[in-house]
Amino acid sequence: MDLTSKLRQLLPQRSSPPPVQHRADLDPLLGGGEVDTPYGPCYLVTKELPLSHRHGRWFLETVFKASYENLGRLSSGAQQPLHLDRTLFLDTETTGLAGGTGTYAFLVGLGFFTPTGFVVKQLLMRDYNEELALLYLLDQELQQKEAVVSFNGKTFDLPLLQTRFALARLGLQGASSLAHYDLLPLSRRFWRRKLDSCSLGSLEENILGVQRSGDIPGYEIPQRYFDFLRTKDGRLLQDILEHNFIDIVSMASLLYRLQAVTELSPEECDCPFEAEALSRLAHDTDQYQLALDYLSTAAALAQERELQIRILKQSAALFKRLGEYERAAVLWRKVLAWVEDDLHSAEELAKYYEHRIKDLESAERITKRALAHAWLAKSPRIPDWEHRLARIEGKIRRQAVDV
Amino acid sequence: MLQKLENNPRFMANVTFRHTIEAQEGVFEPIPEFIPQAMRDLLKDKGIEQLYSHQAAALQAVQAGEDIVVVTPTASGKTLCYNLPVLKTLLEDEEARALYLFPTKALAQDQVAELMAWSDSLGGKIKTYTYDGDTPGDARIAIRAAGSIVVTNPDMLHSGILPHHTKWMRLFENLKYVVIDELHIYRGVFGSHVANVLRRLERICCFYGAKPRFICTSATIANPKEHGEALLGRPVTVIDQNGAPRGRKDILFYNPPVVNKPLGIRRSSLLEAEAVARELISHKIPTIVFARSRLDTEVLVTYLRKAFHRLGEPPETIRAYRGGYLPKQRRQIELDLREGRVLGVVSTNALELGIDIGTLQAAVLTGYPGTIASTWQQLGRAGRSRDSSLAVVVANSSPLNQFIIQNPSYFMDRGVEYARINPNNLFILVSHLKCAAFELPFREGEKFGEIDPQEILDYLAAEMILRKVEGRWYWMSENYPAAHISLRSASTENFAIIDTTEGKTQVIGEVDRFSAPMLIHEGAIYIHESKQYHIDHLDWEGQKAYAREVNTDYYTDANLDVELKVLDVFASEELPQVRRSWGEVMVTAKTHMYKKIKFYTHENIGWGQISLPEQEMHTTAYWFSVPQEAASALDQGALQSALLGASHLLGNIASLELMCEPSDLGVAAQIKSPFTGCPTVFIYEKYPGGVGFSEQLFEAHGRLLWRALSIIRNCPCPSGCPSCVGPAEETGINGKEHTLWLLKGALGHGSHQQAAPAAAPKE
Repeated sequence: MDLTSKLRQLLPQRSSPPPVQHRADLDPLLGGGEVDTPYGPCYLVTKELPLSHRHGRWFLETVFKASYENLGRLSSGAQQPLHLDRTLFLDTETTGLAGGTGTYAFLVGLGFFTPTGFVVKQLLMRDYNEELALLYLLDQELQQKEAVVSFNGKTFDLPLLQTRFALARLGLQGASSLAHYDLLPLSRRFWRRKLDSCSLGSLEENILGVQRSGDIPGYEIPQRYFDFLRTKDGRLLQDILEHNFIDIVSMASLLYRLQAVTELSPEECDCPFEAEALSRLAHDTDQYQLALDYLSTAAALAQERELQIRILKQSAALFKRLGEYERAAVLWRKVLAWVEDDLHSAEELAKYYEHRIKDLESAERITKRALAHAWLAKSPRIPDWEHRLARIEGKIRRQAVDV
Repeated sequence: MLQKLENNPRFMANVTFRHTIEAQEGVFEPIPEFIPQAMRDLLKDKGIEQLYSHQAAALQAVQAGEDIVVVTPTASGKTLCYNLPVLKTLLEDEEARALYLFPTKALAQDQVAELMAWSDSLGGKIKTYTYDGDTPGDARIAIRAAGSIVVTNPDMLHSGILPHHTKWMRLFENLKYVVIDELHIYRGVFGSHVANVLRRLERICCFYGAKPRFICTSATIANPKEHGEALLGRPVTVIDQNGAPRGRKDILFYNPPVVNKPLGIRRSSLLEAEAVARELISHKIPTIVFARSRLDTEVLVTYLRKAFHRLGEPPETIRAYRGGYLPKQRRQIELDLREGRVLGVVSTNALELGIDIGTLQAAVLTGYPGTIASTWQQLGRAGRSRDSSLAVVVANSSPLNQFIIQNPSYFMDRGVEYARINPNNLFILVSHLKCAAFELPFREGEKFGEIDPQEILDYLAAEMILRKVEGRWYWMSENYPAAHISLRSASTENFAIIDTTEGKTQVIGEVDRFSAPMLIHEGAIYIHESKQYHIDHLDWEGQKAYAREVNTDYYTDANLDVELKVLDVFASEELPQVRRSWGEVMVTAKTHMYKKIKFYTHENIGWGQISLPEQEMHTTAYWFSVPQEAASALDQGALQSALLGASHLLGNIASLELMCEPSDLGVAAQIKSPFTGCPTVFIYEKYPGGVGFSEQLFEAHGRLLWRALSIIRNCPCPSGCPSCVGPAEETGINGKEHTLWLLKGALGHGSHQQAAPAAAPKE
């Protein structure tokens, strides 16, 4: 038996139809053209939107004219303010999500502002042999800029491109010298609790007001590209290019919205989740009074009990930090009225009674109740509570003796 | 130590063979000049001022740029053979890197501890890390950037490192040494896989311009040079003159007494091994007991703990050690062993490999481990360095065990086994070609090991898994191929066992897919850390078994039913009385029922049904069939018993002939095979595609039957016992006679026609 028939027996076969070679001209379908590089050709599609274009709720001009002071501070790994005229929006389409050296970025979309509009360049490898050319062009674009904006690029797109550059062994820098702003973790800060999902699609729908129709689902993209490789039928790529294009424009809008949210004053906030997130930001920069102001906005807007309790606890912690123990105690009591077994608030309150105002009876009452809940929850901190109770009871006994 | 046992007449009555290996002086050489002073000072601090001769030879060979395999017994200081050259290079060149491969995580752990101690004393510049499935994500980044020595296992290299080689650029660009410990473990299927992983490693090194030297160590095998060269795909220098001193070792062969003469049944080797171990441990002799399976391990631990509990010892004195434990549990046991909190360890072969325990003085083997090399390894677990030690091999009733115990000369004189691999098994080769293409596109004309992979790559391209453009084959799939290929068994997915006692949901262990129907079917008693768990529910799709702690007086044992279909014949020969063949087969395995077996008495107290999906395997087999006319001399029942007897016996001794693990093979007998139309015995390989055993059996056909014949002739039982053709209750009252007739006929010793025994003699 020859090798091929053995292979046929040993390995399960797919029943796919023989490839049809279309060889149709891509240009009229995709609206781009071939570009030559020292490493051979690849394919480039360039589109430009005028600044007067509106994507969802905002005009591109608004996006471009805004200043992005705050975002640099918020995005880890990037300190300087972001200048949109020196920034690339980047999104890749890949042959899979598995990672590793066998996953290719076959399409890299790059968006950037010019004085007159928003340009999207899409670099496409029409087959595997065009990867070097694609990487070469990508590197040229990257080296002209200072920063990259992505959505989930920190864990996905950028490491993948780094792998591709490393494999190419052309000595190209790629994005490694550029500042990087990943909008996914930023978006999660503000909207994780508000939205079920922080996917770009969900953000478009709920935050940006962008409607997509006939969009190709992301998980279909690799197979669609493989089908294209077999058939060279350019129609298969149209949806992918469109999908990639909208992703990039949406990133620009999202960046704007994120910056705008960070600029809201406590009075301007109209969303409790955003106010809560802003309070945390203020807290992180030691602006405790401002943090409290955001929380009171959040409290006024909050509908869900869970959020309301969280706000109470955060406010109490801030009052404690500002030395306003009495106001903090009021809030801890409120929390315990709602959530009897909140051991953190119980502990704070017990400490307050025992050490601050020396109300040992109240401290004992709180501690006993907390201990009961600790037992129920099989808390690992039962010994701490037992210790606290013993100490308080000891103090009460000594007090009685003294009297 | 031996005296204590010698005073026990009941014990000595069952000892069939004694052998003493006398203590031996060491052969020493000076430390070679090229070893830097800092390292000499350190060696001196450790009390080492000279090297054993084999260590010095290894150093000289590595210095001369050779790839080496060091073959010496347990506890002969093998680690210095690789640590010294590696540390020397790393001291001289801070950028240099080394990759250490160990077959188990436990071994890797041990080595890292030793290397870290070296590094600390050498200024702390050499960073050693383990990289395995337990390494946390943030540590991985540090290891990739800064690990001078990366210690891992072949599985991790295969699925975690090579497919992400760009992240390991620093390692590959500067790789000076690849150290492979326990080379002999990489044989059979596992070895064939690992040889391909090394072909992939070589490709990646080549891509980064590195040409690492290989330093390997191995337990004693018959063909270290051939095996090393097959595995590494390059010439190797073998260093096998052991210069290490050793203590006196007494080896006893122990055959449990026959408890049922007519049936030839001996007392359970498990119970006898337990008695021997109990005796030793009660004399405070640190003892290791090797069990043949995970189940036996747990049963032994339960028995020993109960015995010592009656003597007031804490249960922790006896510990189980096996593969199914989670890593943390295993680490703790290893630590307790080293620090003497544990006196008795019951292990499957996980400890056969060179984990340094140091304090063990006696080893008890429950049954012959299946290979001579493996037996020496297990015997060597007790008594490291110059102390005297004792090892007891307790035989069970299987033909293989009885053959060994009655022919100690076979064991003592024959020498150890050959390690065989077949890296070009098509199934394995194709799997790794996929991984390799994922890692780097193949170029036209590029070789893979000594293979020209073009035809296979073209096939994969036609299957749309690869794409060929301008003379290169690229990976064209969303999959991550290494995730679907396990180096150690046919199936990759493990089943998790979840303890749900009192509302818990805690994973307590794992079982591989192939074993799942046997071990964790609904109703099974799964034993873990000598606690019993009843499997309440098996979620086959979700690969989870839900268990609840129980306290029963029985354990469960499931039967595997096998069907076999011939797909293709590779070779076939008509001999005077028999036709031998080998070729491709489809094996279907299904578990239908299980038995409940009572502890201690081992009586069967009930059974239950198992309804789980069949498992199919496409593999190779060797078979022989007796012509229908010849067989017709026997009636249907007699033929049945002859075939059962022959397969029982042949299945057991084929592994002896092949010198492979008995578990690598399966046997099936068909009274009228749909393929040959005749009574047929099949021996098949338990790995998809086979690794070449079937062809070897085809060639060894005559010798195989002849050895089977001589075992039957020399077995003292009257009419069949577990040690020859199987117990009479299974093969029938004349099973021995019928099997003898079948084998004699098949060998042409007296023709089938005339030698047919008459109908069964009247009782």
